Amino acid sequence: MGATRKRGPQLRGLPFVLPYLPFLILFGIAPMVYALDLAFTDAGGGWVGVDNFTRTYNDFRFMPAMKHVLIYTTVWLGALMVFVVALALLLHGRASRASSTFRFLYYLPGALAGAAAVLVWLFMLDPTVSPASFLLHHVLGADFFAQSIAPGNLPYLFAMMAFWTGAGGWIVVMYGALNTIPPDLEQAARIDGANAIQIALRLKLPLIRKWIAYMLILSFATGTQLFVEPEIVQHASFGLVPDTWSANQLAYQLAFRFADFNGAAAIAVDLLAIGLIGAVVIVMRTGLFRADD
Amino acid sequence: MRALGLGVRTAILLTFAVFFIAPVVWLLLAPTKSDEALITSSPFSFGDFDHVALAWKHLDAFSDHVYRRWITNTLYYALSATAITLVVSVPAGYGLALGNFPGRKLVLSATLVVMIMPAAALVLPIFLELNALHLIGSSLSIILPFAFFPFGVYLAYLYYATAIPRDLLDAARVDGCGELQTFLRVALPLAKPVVALVFFFSFVSDWNNFFLPYVMLADSNQYPITVGLSNLLSSTPSFNPSVGGGGQSVNIFKPELALATLLAVVPVAIVFVLSQRALVRGLVGGGVKE
Amino acid sequence: MANVTFDGVSKVFGDGTRAVDALDLEIHDGEFMVLVGPSGCGKTTALKMVAGLEEVSVGAIRIGERIVNDLTPKQRDIAMVFQSYALYPHLSVRDNIAFPLKLKKTRKDEIDRRVREAARILDLEPYLKRKPRSLSGGQRQRVAMGRAIVREPSVFLMDEPLSNLDAKLRVQMRADIKRLQSELEVTTIYVTHDQVEAMTMGHRVAVLRKGELQQVGPPEDLYQRPRNMFVGGFIGSPAMNMLAATVEQRNGTFEVVAGETRIEAGGEILATHPALASYEGREVVLGIRPEGLEDALLVDGSAGRPRLRGQAVLREALGAETLIHFSAAVRPAVTDEVRELAEDIGDDRAPALTGDVEAATLVGRFSSQSKIREGDAIDVAIDERALHYFDPSSGDAI
Repeated sequence: MGATRKRGPQLRGLPFVLPYLPFLILFGIAPMVYALDLAFTDAGGGWVGVDNFTRTYNDFRFMPAMKHVLIYTTVWLGALMVFVVALALLLHGRASRASSTFRFLYYLPGALAGAAAVLVWLFMLDPTVSPASFLLHHVLGADFFAQSIAPGNLPYLFAMMAFWTGAGGWIVVMYGALNTIPPDLEQAARIDGANAIQIALRLKLPLIRKWIAYMLILSFATGTQLFVEPEIVQHASFGLVPDTWSANQLAYQLAFRFADFNGAAAIAVDLLAIGLIGAVVIVMRTGLFRADD
Repeated sequence: MRALGLGVRTAILLTFAVFFIAPVVWLLLAPTKSDEALITSSPFSFGDFDHVALAWKHLDAFSDHVYRRWITNTLYYALSATAITLVVSVPAGYGLALGNFPGRKLVLSATLVVMIMPAAALVLPIFLELNALHLIGSSLSIILPFAFFPFGVYLAYLYYATAIPRDLLDAARVDGCGELQTFLRVALPLAKPVVALVFFFSFVSDWNNFFLPYVMLADSNQYPITVGLSNLLSSTPSFNPSVGGGGQSVNIFKPELALATLLAVVPVAIVFVLSQRALVRGLVGGGVKE
Repeated sequence: MANVTFDGVSKVFGDGTRAVDALDLEIHDGEFMVLVGPSGCGKTTALKMVAGLEEVSVGAIRIGERIVNDLTPKQRDIAMVFQSYALYPHLSVRDNIAFPLKLKKTRKDEIDRRVREAARILDLEPYLKRKPRSLSGGQRQRVAMGRAIVREPSVFLMDEPLSNLDAKLRVQMRADIKRLQSELEVTTIYVTHDQVEAMTMGHRVAVLRKGELQQVGPPEDLYQRPRNMFVGGFIGSPAMNMLAATVEQRNGTFEVVAGETRIEAGGEILATHPALASYEGREVVLGIRPEGLEDALLVDGSAGRPRLRGQAVLREALGAETLIHFSAAVRPAVTDEVRELAEDIGDDRAPALTGDVEAATLVGRFSSQSKIREGDAIDVAIDERALHYFDPSSGDAI
C-alpha cells in the first residue's frame, strides 16, 4: 500500500471477497444450476421437459416417501413452534440461575447431532434397556425394539429425535431474542394491568415473531431433506424400515444404486421447491417482511 | 395463586429437562455395564470402570482399530475445513459489509439463497462435479465442500455491518492504513466474537455432517465418525440379528456402541459447552441485533 | 503548513443529489476556518473531500500547491477528528495516539516523545494505559485530538467534534481547541452546525446552504453585513426577526412600511443601502435583530424613533438582559429561507407561515431593567441604524 494513484473506491472491499467466490460458485451456485439441468435432461444430456418429474412421481416409492416427510416435517415444526417458544417464554418469565441451568440442560443434546443422536435414541427405543420402557409399553404398545419402530410410529419418532437435538439451540436463540425486548415495555404492561400470561402472549410473542419465522423457515427446509435418521434406523433394523423411507433417501438410492442421476435430481429439485414455497408461506403468515415494528 | 403458577412452571421445565438429559445420562452410564446388565439392571445404575475398559478394548479391536482412524479423520476434516472457512469467510463478510463494489448485493443475495438451501440437495451435483475433477476418494472431496460455509459469511457480514462504525475505518485510512492494513489492524482484531462464532458453527457442523461423506467416500478407512458409527451399527448383531457370526467374532454389543457414541461426541461437546455464552451474545446480543 | 483551496468543487452522488455545488473557497495557511450551515448543507461532504474520504466529482482541491484529488487520505498529510471520535476500541489511549506514527514506521523513541508531548498538552498523562471504553466523552475527545496532533500534519480537519459533549464541557473545549490551534498554527477546517461555535472559534466563517457557499468572512462581517437573508437569519441568536414590508414614497422621502410602523429611509440609510430606492412600491423583507429592539420606556427621545406596538407574549429573564417575545400587527416574511431556518431549529410550525398572516411574533433583547410583563401592551423602539433589507425573491441583501 503506497500506490501513488488511488484506485477508485468503486472497488473497495472486492479483494476480500474474491477468495470466497470460487467456493460460492463451485459449491453453491453451480450445483444449484447443475441440479436444475439434470432434472430436465436425460442421461445423455438431451432435454426431456418434465419427464423426470413425472417418472419419479409415478414411482411407487415416491408418494409414501413424500407422505412420510410431510408428516415428519409438520410434527417437527409444530413441536418447535409450540415447545421452543413456550419453554423460552417460561424461562424468560423469571430469569434466574435456575433458568440458565435449564437452558444449558436443554442445549446439551445439540452436541449429539445426527448419527450419534440416532444411536442414543435407538437405545431409548429398545424397551429392554431404555429408561422409558414404561412409556414405550403404554404409549407405543411396544415390548421389543422391532415394535417400537413400527412404520406408523416412524415420523413421530424421527420428529422427536430432531426436536431433542435441535430444540435447545433454538431455545437459546429465542431466549436471547426475548432479552432484546426493552424492560420498560414489560413494566409499562404490568402497570397497565397485564398478568404474566398476557405479557407473554400479547407483548413478548409478537415481538419475537421474526425469530420464530427464521426458525420455521430453516427447519422446514432441513426437515424436508430428512436423511440421516431414517438411514441409520434402516441399518439398525435390517429390512423393517425401507431404504427409501424419506424422499431424500429415494433420491440417494436412485443416484447410487440405479445410476438414475436425472431422477434423483428431479426429486432434489422437488424438495428445493417445497422448501422455498414453505419459506414464502411462512413469511406471509408471520408477516416477516412487513414494515418493521 | 402465584405459587400454583410457579409450581406448574417448574413442573413443565423439569419434565423437559428430564426429556433432554435422561438419554445423555444413560449414555454416560451405559459403558460401565455389561450387555446383560444393561437389560437387567436399572438404566441409571453405575457399573464399574473395568467394563468401560473392556468395552474400549472391543471397540478398538473392531476392524483393525478403524475407530481411532474415524476419530482422527473427523478431526482432520473438521479442523482443516474450519481453518479454510475462517480465512475465506471472515474477510468476505468484511468486504460485503463495508465495501462498495459492483455486484456486492448480488453476492450477498446469492449467499442468502444458498444458505436457505440445505446442503443435502446440493450434495448430488457436487458429487458429480468432483467426480469430473477426479477428486472423489481424496480428503479434498470432503474438506473443500465443508469449507464452503455461507452461514459463516453471513454471520461475519452481519457483525461487520452492525458492530464496526464506518468512521473507525475512515480514521484508520486517514491515519495511514491502506485497505489491507485497515482490515488487519482494525477490522480483524475487533472481530474476535464473530471469529469464535464462525469457528464454533463450522466445526460442529463439519463434525456432525453425515450425508456428504456418506456419498463421497467409499473406503471405510476414510470415514468420519458419523458414517463410521453407522457402519459400526450395521456390522454388529446388537440391533441387527442377521449379522454376526460367520467366522469373525465381533464383540460389539450395546456397551461398545454406547461407548463409541460417547467418544464420538466428546470433542464437540467440549466446544459446545465452552461456546454457549459466546453463542448467545454473538447471535442476538451484539451481532445480529438490528 | 499549507493553504487549502477549493476550486469550483462539486460533489454529485449516484442518485443525482448535488451535495456540494461549485464551491470556491480559499483557506489561508494557519487559518481557523469554520464551515457552518444546517444539516444537509454539504459542509461535512466538503470536509471529507479534503480528507480524501469522498471523491471529487468536479473541480480541484489543492493542499499547498498540489492538486490532491487523486491522492489517498494517507498521502495528503492531513489529520482528522471525527464526530464520533472513532477511537480504536482494542487499543489503549497510548496506542491510539501512537497508531499513525507506527504506520509510518517512525522510530520508537520518536514515537514515545511525540506521544508524551501530546498527552501533556491535552492532560491525558494519567490515562495512557486505559482503553477508550473506560473514558468519559471529554477524555475520548481529547484522545482523538491527540491522535491528530501527534502527526504534525499540514491540515487539521474537524467534523463536529464537540456535538456529543454536554453544554458546559463544550464551552470549555471550544476555548481549548482555539488555544491549541493558535499555538500550533496549523491550518484548520472545522465543521459545525452550531453558529455560536462558528462565531466564537473561527478566524473566518463560511456559511453553506444546500451545497452552495452563501458568504465567507470574519464573524463580525457575517453578523453586521449579511449578504443574504439566509446568512442574516442563520447567524445570531436569537435569530433575526424577518418582516414583510413595502417601500413607499411620501413627500419626497422614502419610507419602509410594515403594518402601522413607518421607518423613514433618510440620508444615512439610503447611503448605506442605495438600491432601496429602486424598490419603491414593492415588497422587501425587513430584518431586525433582537438587539436592535428596546423597551420604548427605557429609551430617551424615543418619541422620534420608529416604533412597534404589540403585546408581550413571553418573558425570558436571563439576568444580564431580558428577552421579550411579543406579537405585533406586522406581516412575517414567508420565504424558503425563513421556512428552512425554522425547520433547522426544529420549529415545525412552519405550516403556519404559509398564506397571509396578519400578525407576527418577534423577539427583542431588552435591558434587564425593563418592567414588561407577559400580557402587557408594549411599545418597542427600533434602532434604524441596525436594520437589514432583503429582496423577497432572491434573498439578497439590498
